[in-house]
Amino acid sequence: MNLRDVLSPFYAWKRTLEKPFTIKRPVEEVRRGAPGYRGFHINDVGKCIGCGSCSRICQNGAIDMVPVEGIKSGHGDSGLRPRIDYGRCCWCALCVDICPTGSLGMSNKYNWISPDGDEFVFTPGVDDKNWDQSSEGYRRRDETWLIEPVKTDMPVLEPEVRRRSFEEVAEGYDDELARREAMRCIECGLCIEACPTHMDVPQYIKSIRDNNLEEGLRILYETNPFSESCGRICTARCQDACPLGREGEPVMIRWLKRYITDRTAPRAREILADFHSLPQTGKKVAIVGGGPSGLTAAYYLKSYGHNATIFEMHDELGGMLRYGIPEYRLPKAILDREIKTILDTGVETKLEVKIGEDVSLKDLYDDYDAVFVSIGAQRGTSMPIEGIDTPGVLVGVDFLDEIAKGKRPNLGEKVAVIGGGNTAMDVCRTSVRLGSKEVVVLYRRTEREMPAAHEEVEEAREEGVRFEFLTAPTIISKKDDKLELECIRMELGEPDESGRRRPVPIEGSEFKITADTCIMAIGQKVENVMAEQVGVETTRWGTFEVDEDTLTTNVEGIFAGGDCETGPDDAIKAIAAGKKAAYFINRYLKED
Amino acid sequence: MKELLERLEDRFTVTESDVERDNLAFITLPSKEVVQAATHLRDIEGFGHLVMISAVDYIERGIFQLTYILHNYDKHSDIGVRTEIDRRNPVMDSIHHLWAAARVYQQELREMFGIDFPGSPRVDEPMILEGWDNIPPMRKDFDTKKYAEETYFPREGRVTYDPARAMEEKNYPLEARVKKRIQKLLREGKDED
Amino acid sequence: MKERRISETNPWEPTWCDVPKLDLKSERYVKIWQGPQHPGVTGNMALELTLEGDVVVDCRTHVGYLHRGFEKLMERRRYIQCFPIVCRICVPEPDYNEYLFAAAAEELAGIEIPERGAWIRALVLELTRTAFLTMWLGGQAAAFGLGTIGQWSVAHRDFILDLFEELTGHRIYHMYIIPGGVRHELPEGFAGRVEAVLERIEKIISDIEKVMFHNAVFKARAKGLGYIPPSWVEPYGITGSTARGAGVAIDVRKDNPYLVYDKLDFEKIVGGESDVYERAVLRKEEILMSIRLIRQILKRMPGGPVRAKLPNVFHWRIPAGETYVRAESGRGEMGYYMVSDGTEYPRRVNVRGASYTHAMALLERLALGVSNADIAGLMTSIQTCPPEIER
Repeated sequence: MNLRDVLSPFYAWKRTLEKPFTIKRPVEEVRRGAPGYRGFHINDVGKCIGCGSCSRICQNGAIDMVPVEGIKSGHGDSGLRPRIDYGRCCWCALCVDICPTGSLGMSNKYNWISPDGDEFVFTPGVDDKNWDQSSEGYRRRDETWLIEPVKTDMPVLEPEVRRRSFEEVAEGYDDELARREAMRCIECGLCIEACPTHMDVPQYIKSIRDNNLEEGLRILYETNPFSESCGRICTARCQDACPLGREGEPVMIRWLKRYITDRTAPRAREILADFHSLPQTGKKVAIVGGGPSGLTAAYYLKSYGHNATIFEMHDELGGMLRYGIPEYRLPKAILDREIKTILDTGVETKLEVKIGEDVSLKDLYDDYDAVFVSIGAQRGTSMPIEGIDTPGVLVGVDFLDEIAKGKRPNLGEKVAVIGGGNTAMDVCRTSVRLGSKEVVVLYRRTEREMPAAHEEVEEAREEGVRFEFLTAPTIISKKDDKLELECIRMELGEPDESGRRRPVPIEGSEFKITADTCIMAIGQKVENVMAEQVGVETTRWGTFEVDEDTLTTNVEGIFAGGDCETGPDDAIKAIAAGKKAAYFINRYLKED
Repeated sequence: MKELLERLEDRFTVTESDVERDNLAFITLPSKEVVQAATHLRDIEGFGHLVMISAVDYIERGIFQLTYILHNYDKHSDIGVRTEIDRRNPVMDSIHHLWAAARVYQQELREMFGIDFPGSPRVDEPMILEGWDNIPPMRKDFDTKKYAEETYFPREGRVTYDPARAMEEKNYPLEARVKKRIQKLLREGKDED
Repeated sequence: MKERRISETNPWEPTWCDVPKLDLKSERYVKIWQGPQHPGVTGNMALELTLEGDVVVDCRTHVGYLHRGFEKLMERRRYIQCFPIVCRICVPEPDYNEYLFAAAAEELAGIEIPERGAWIRALVLELTRTAFLTMWLGGQAAAFGLGTIGQWSVAHRDFILDLFEELTGHRIYHMYIIPGGVRHELPEGFAGRVEAVLERIEKIISDIEKVMFHNAVFKARAKGLGYIPPSWVEPYGITGSTARGAGVAIDVRKDNPYLVYDKLDFEKIVGGESDVYERAVLRKEEILMSIRLIRQILKRMPGGPVRAKLPNVFHWRIPAGETYVRAESGRGEMGYYMVSDGTEYPRRVNVRGASYTHAMALLERLALGVSNADIAGLMTSIQTCPPEIER
């Protein structure tokens, strides 16, 4: 032992007079957490959509999803909000990193004392806390986001190729692309509500990840026997509801559905053989109209053991899917295959029979145990303007009908399309394919108000279609061998009952457009002559009046659904109506 | 690594071998050969460091997989010796005479998986779970969630809703019923109502 | 001074052979429990000591007071959900668990992490080593009654925890090293604040040098205590600075370089005396080396992204396979053995706590012949960490 070792420890005395590392009590100034501290949660309840991702990623089971007063459920918002049990929270912030909307964050508040333990269970953003407005704390950043916000692109034909052919535009996902897109789903299920027929979207997407497409097809057919068509032309309300669309791009649900059917539809009959059906009941149901609604009803009615007979005025089945949607969006071969799967269950068909003219609805009503009217809204409407009867002015649906039947009319160099819906898009893109050099779409509101799918508008633009927004024709006349459209500019005024801003003409803004052909694609209506034959009530818009819950008309045993009940709408809504009708017709027949 | 595996294959019944990376390989041996192989690896091949003994429960195959990870300090490489033992009669030869530390691993495996190592010192003493009267907890058939629910009590008043289910009940109960009935019809052939 | 060094017996002779059959009824022995709550015990574990006079003649370790079953819990959690719980396996050095879990998952899943991510990981690991060893020095001193040093070192560890708070959002359980890289970029001006803290640590280390390593009392008690012959290193699975103290030059950072350690300039710190005193000196040197490494890392860190994108974490499946990854923690070799069966949940995760064998087999052996008063110092010296023993 040397002297140094004895003396050296006294060095510690040098700190005798230093200020100690202790804190005065009671604590006067609360120490703030670091700016990125993970403390108590904050939630912007207006931005939150209650998808429950936070709750599902929480490995402690600390987060409950609870209804909150004043927040409505629907349209991609479950109406639930996360409620956090801080007895379980481990402050890992995975809930923040997974949040699709970025509403959930964490403040840097970590010291909060309450003698009541139950106070530590609360709903951030709803139960007021003094850190709610804190701008500090942990927030999701792009690099910490656990969600892939970018969709998997669908391979499509080049616009140049598309302009020249009716070949299908979208080529379909291959296995790898589909698997990648299926991985993006967070399985919240908000899409199920948005779908009119409430397809089990997360489940069938899971079947892609599990590479169990046969089960996927069965899941599709549980709710929708037109999945193959819907995989191409559905308006995909589910995608509008997808939480990933809030701050990124939604899961491409429609393309995934198409992928399942692309791989399995040729063997559909074999795969669906697993489905049960009830023994034959001997009851007969007449279905008027062989569109998506009628065929869907027939498919499920067969499973219930009833005989279904479809009466169709055209020489082929499919309704608007065949006569309203051009080949480049839904190839006829695909539609034929899908309809065959339905007919293979034993559905009878009577083609080229027009109920109301060839056969009275009354006769049908007497001969059958029940009747389902699903005639759609097939008559195109036109505008009440001067010169609407001028030769060269066509009606959109009739035009598409002709194209579907194989005709290829010459529209001339320049085509003007009036309207902003999906029909207008089909018409203008078909015109391009027929060889017209210049196609212009006139729409009286702006692009934002257009009812057509955004994707279609984009694709039309790529194909060279020009858009004139805030424009409406007032007079159509013939000048030389061309049409002259006198147009007027519009501006947007107060919102009307549909919530869209009403277009108002601007005085003195008249101008003229010339065109070889003008096609009106502004709406359709129902041909309801048959209704009178049995005394079924109709509405002032000409649609069939039904009990919305059960689709029954005022005449017992007659049901109506699809476009003829709702007015022109999309295919998936018609399919939903067909499914619902099958269920209630079965109940009606059982009660007999 | 490759040469080592070849040498081992000459000497032992290697049923499977995987090279995970340059300095890590796994081999599978019959359980009878493990002690012999471990001795060989330690004394001849220079794998003097017993990294760990671990077990994996493959309940669906009715076996426990035991993994002995050995490390060679000179070559800085590892070898995992795997073996499979019957889950109904899980007994394995002890290696406590090769590595003094092995007895701790074996005691833990005995407690957590119920794998017996006859002759290993204090192997039957409880290590962590004094007073445990359930099945060995690391086995796959021990359900931690069920155990926790039976043993502890949750905070009262907590309730949660699944978003999809909640929307179904609130926004479209009728359509949901139609959908479920049709699903039941197609899947089970039953028409209720 | 009394010679307390255990004679170097046959290294292969296992622990239990040294314990004579004790006649506990002979009234020659006293049995006492040290722990599970005891100021001289690191963490919560218990030593059942049989004393003859002042000298330990039998030692049994009892763990289980911190058992939370993490390995089992992970089997029913998705990979990403394991990430918040692995750090809890070791309190003083949580980041090694985060790193090893991430590295094992990345290796099985075939995910490459960005280069900057690897550098930041190394920075975090060295910072946590510095924090742990600084606190440990205080613990070692306090076990011999030098409580002042404990206060200094714990207070200075807090400066590092402040850095962690700023960087990761939390002080103890950082949850920063996530599969794919690190969670996010360093805050602005972070390197400067790290440097300031490093300087403070260096200063306190030089103070501790004077007060602890040149302290006659500490020297008298620690020198010669807890001698570990080099021949015990392999049979007892001794790793880290405990093995290096015995002259066995093993250091995972050098031997099996991970992250960026092959690009850093450092040497193994090896001793030979292999007693409590020397192990403390080595660990003090390791703090200084960690500080040098942190400076190198901060200087040479490249730019770029810090994190690779994971697949959707709700459906993240890792291909079937198994692997073992290791790292040099402040206590020795820490490793994760991960088995995946191709599902979204790990089949098995087994953690090799660095002090697993130290605290049980080795401690029971080393305690023999040691005075009861020195047990606490001995236990601290081999760096027992109960949470990683029982996971």
